[in-house]
Amino acid sequence: MLRALIRLDDVHKEFLGTPVLQGVSLTVPAQCIYALIGPGAAGKSVLLKVVAGLLRPERGKVFVNDAELTSMRELELAEARKSIGMLFQNYALFDKNVYENIAFPLRRLYDLPEEEIRERVAERLARVALPGTEERIPQSMSGGQKKRIGVARATIAKPEVILYDEPTAGLDPVTSQKIYDLVQEEQRATKATVMVISSDVSGVLTIADRVGMLHQGRLVFDGTAEEAKTSTIPEVNQFVHGLTEGPL
Amino acid sequence: MAARTKDPSIIDAAKNVVTDARDVFRVFARTLYYLFRGKREKGEVARQMFAIGNESLFFMCITMAFIGAIITFQTGLQSRKLLPDFSLMGATYLKLLVRDLAASVGALPLATRVGAGIAAEIGSMVVTDQVDALRMCAADPIDYLVVPRFIACVVMGTVILIIGGFVAYGSGLLVANLAFDVTPSTFNNLMYLNLGDVALGFFKCLTYGAAIAVVSAQRGLATFGGSEGVGWATTEAVVGSSFAIIVLNLIISTFGYFLVPSVGPG
Repeated sequence: MLRALIRLDDVHKEFLGTPVLQGVSLTVPAQCIYALIGPGAAGKSVLLKVVAGLLRPERGKVFVNDAELTSMRELELAEARKSIGMLFQNYALFDKNVYENIAFPLRRLYDLPEEEIRERVAERLARVALPGTEERIPQSMSGGQKKRIGVARATIAKPEVILYDEPTAGLDPVTSQKIYDLVQEEQRATKATVMVISSDVSGVLTIADRVGMLHQGRLVFDGTAEEAKTSTIPEVNQFVHGLTEGPL
Repeated sequence: MAARTKDPSIIDAAKNVVTDARDVFRVFARTLYYLFRGKREKGEVARQMFAIGNESLFFMCITMAFIGAIITFQTGLQSRKLLPDFSLMGATYLKLLVRDLAASVGALPLATRVGAGIAAEIGSMVVTDQVDALRMCAADPIDYLVVPRFIACVVMGTVILIIGGFVAYGSGLLVANLAFDVTPSTFNNLMYLNLGDVALGFFKCLTYGAAIAVVSAQRGLATFGGSEGVGWATTEAVVGSSFAIIVLNLIISTFGYFLVPSVGPG
């Protein structure tokens, strides 16, 4: 059994008095692809930002790689985030060209010569099937291409933990599957621990080792992809199989 | 950053002011920290200086020309009723301009122009997760976004306020000559001006530039929600910066009255 790389203990988070996460506890083993599914407004994106140390929970503890993020100050968090990469739902690409976007984490994290940065960016772009696009502006590219650039930026510093927030939102089924394949290939190549949240259950279950389901801020299921498909928990059964009748 | 209550009661509004003041101070403290310890991106400060200076110069010159003309004309009208003597009009106007008006009056339109831009830019980055993306790349938003704007605002804000002061003086001279037959040689009178006035005016320019950058950046970073949130942040940046300028003017002028020796009126 691999050690838990991400661990949440009784995490509570609220916005303007509205509870978003209500006592979430989960563990993600090292080198595992953990899919977090759930209906809209279940708290998935908030949970991912809590794991990244971008949001502080009101209660509970978050551990990433044995470091407790919840007790850290901002400067310590910045240090801890060096081992975490994140793809954002709406890309969050900067107003720079593709090369500068992907090179950005390397420039901030390490003092590398420009030649090495150039090589690593070219390798990443080849990996996400966008070679030779260094000079293009992301705003002029398609949604699928922007996601790929986001994946390249999230993985260029070779983080131990990679967080994907809705990597296929707004993409067609073919592009979605290509993105999932990319996420899986990347994980196999780097042995990183991956947490991916998605509303696209059928797609994300094809790559997930383990699955958790959030509903109204609570973790109502935690198990393997196969267990999720055969679960008798009403919320899980309805969501995984896309049924219109049920508690959701 | 604390969430704010919209349409607040007086008590809520007072709490909001205290919370905002605390948040602004935190941003200011971290800005000073990263000013010396940060990792500056090549050319970013120059880009911000160009953006702030270039975008504001024409607007500030026009605004200060009108302000200078109006102040001189109204002063002349009152002087004609009370003294019928314009011989010290230029000297008193120059002292007021250098000691206070060029910086304090000029900083208000500057806050609307520059402050709104800073808050909108940073606020848009917040709502599109770009600020979180910066934090994930080990780039503290204060270091990466606020410090270059802070430096640019202090330097270019001061330059623009000084240029604005010269423009206001020129327009005042023109109006004094055309409306009250005050000759340029009479108007150009430095007898009431001393180095203390110049130092006080210069210090105000630096302080207001810093205040506009810090308050506007804090409002931008506190943006919550989507495009409506950016709109709120922009409005609050202008209101907050203007309020900060007025409060700082009161404080600096009070200290200046006691500490900086003055000759003549004021």
